[in-house]
Amino acid sequence: MAAQTERNSPKLPEVLEDIIVANDQSENNKRIGHIPTNSGSDTDGNDEEDDDEEDHIYINEETESGREKILISHAPQERIVPPLNFCPVERYLYRSGQPSPVNFPFLLNLNLKTIIWLANEEPQDTLLEFCDTYNISLQFAAINPDGGEDDNPWDGLTEHSIINALQTIVDKKNYPLLVCCGMGRHRTGTVIGCLRRIMGWNLASVSEEYRRFTGSRGGRILVELLIEAFDTKMVQIARDDAPAWLVTALNG
Amino acid sequence: MASKYIPPLNFSPVISTEVSLYRSGYPMPINYSFIQDQLHLKTVVYVGDKSDISEEYSNFLQSQDIQFLYIPMDSCRDSGINKGIDTVLQTVLDVDNYPMLIHSNKGKHRVGIIVGIIRKILQGWSIASIYQEYGLFSGGLKDEADLEFITMFVSHLEVFKDKMPEFVRIQ
Repeated sequence: MAAQTERNSPKLPEVLEDIIVANDQSENNKRIGHIPTNSGSDTDGNDEEDDDEEDHIYINEETESGREKILISHAPQERIVPPLNFCPVERYLYRSGQPSPVNFPFLLNLNLKTIIWLANEEPQDTLLEFCDTYNISLQFAAINPDGGEDDNPWDGLTEHSIINALQTIVDKKNYPLLVCCGMGRHRTGTVIGCLRRIMGWNLASVSEEYRRFTGSRGGRILVELLIEAFDTKMVQIARDDAPAWLVTALNG
Repeated sequence: MASKYIPPLNFSPVISTEVSLYRSGYPMPINYSFIQDQLHLKTVVYVGDKSDISEEYSNFLQSQDIQFLYIPMDSCRDSGINKGIDTVLQTVLDVDNYPMLIHSNKGKHRVGIIVGIIRKILQGWSIASIYQEYGLFSGGLKDEADLEFITMFVSHLEVFKDKMPEFVRIQ
């Protein structure tokens, strides 16, 4: 693995500019291969490749047919690490626990515009800096704005803070969007559960999804009651501003 | 609002960007309205052991004009399973096949393997996060053989670049 950096800066002939490199982790096998395209008569012209079959890296010249092929074999060299309990919820909407610096390269792939942070306390400074650097709007949806010092991290979300978060979620101008809390379990689960109710999911399915993310100690009955009792009409949805999947759900 | 939608067991999006890829357990008739109204699927991939699909399910797929791909799979120990998985990957690597649902019977282990391999080969997720996601859907039960299989899996596929979905990280 020590040789990685060097292998990452291949000295390619000029003619190979604008080509695609399908990279992998195996060593010493950077080769150039011409993969036949769909131009028909070319299909038998790859005899010279036979010796290279064990190679995992192909660099393809764009051929006259204009269709490049790419070899998929190993994982990309640079691994990315999603935050704890990360999962897509709907198109360009994601949920997770608190992202830490190890997750930032992953988050950059999501091109986030907004992060909803469901807690009273501030997230780690590194996350604040990350949002600042990449122009991500970080929204605080306090658990209990009046709680002050008495506030407990295990308190449920208030109706006010759920609605607050959902108002952001139902507006497509805030997307791509990540909803997160400390562990991505209960507070995030509450907000996503209420969103599922707005979308017309039946309660058992909402609970199934909530419990999936709650870890070995399971779901909290109080959270499920909160989701069940949530009055979906409290969220104002302007259909022109809502994400397409939400409009579809509301029309169904 | 009435609660009218029942997603299939263990339903979740896997990719929710420019293309939609979903995972779940075996869709039952009570799930059809959700699939029909919400997902607008073009392709369903079934990885599992039931070679006969019910008339109801097959009629539903036909009525929705959904192409159905069946990959026989008992477990990751099947002989020749890599070929089946390559076929799934080939399908996943063509934008024309979306929106797509990949399901098994319960949406735990077999789909977990497929999603784990997508996360690793196509997206470059770290192995620890792949295990974590596998655990979310398997109810905490981690089949060591499945995880080992995901870790060791290597593909050998050639696909057209212009059909490749954007979520695939190739560098």
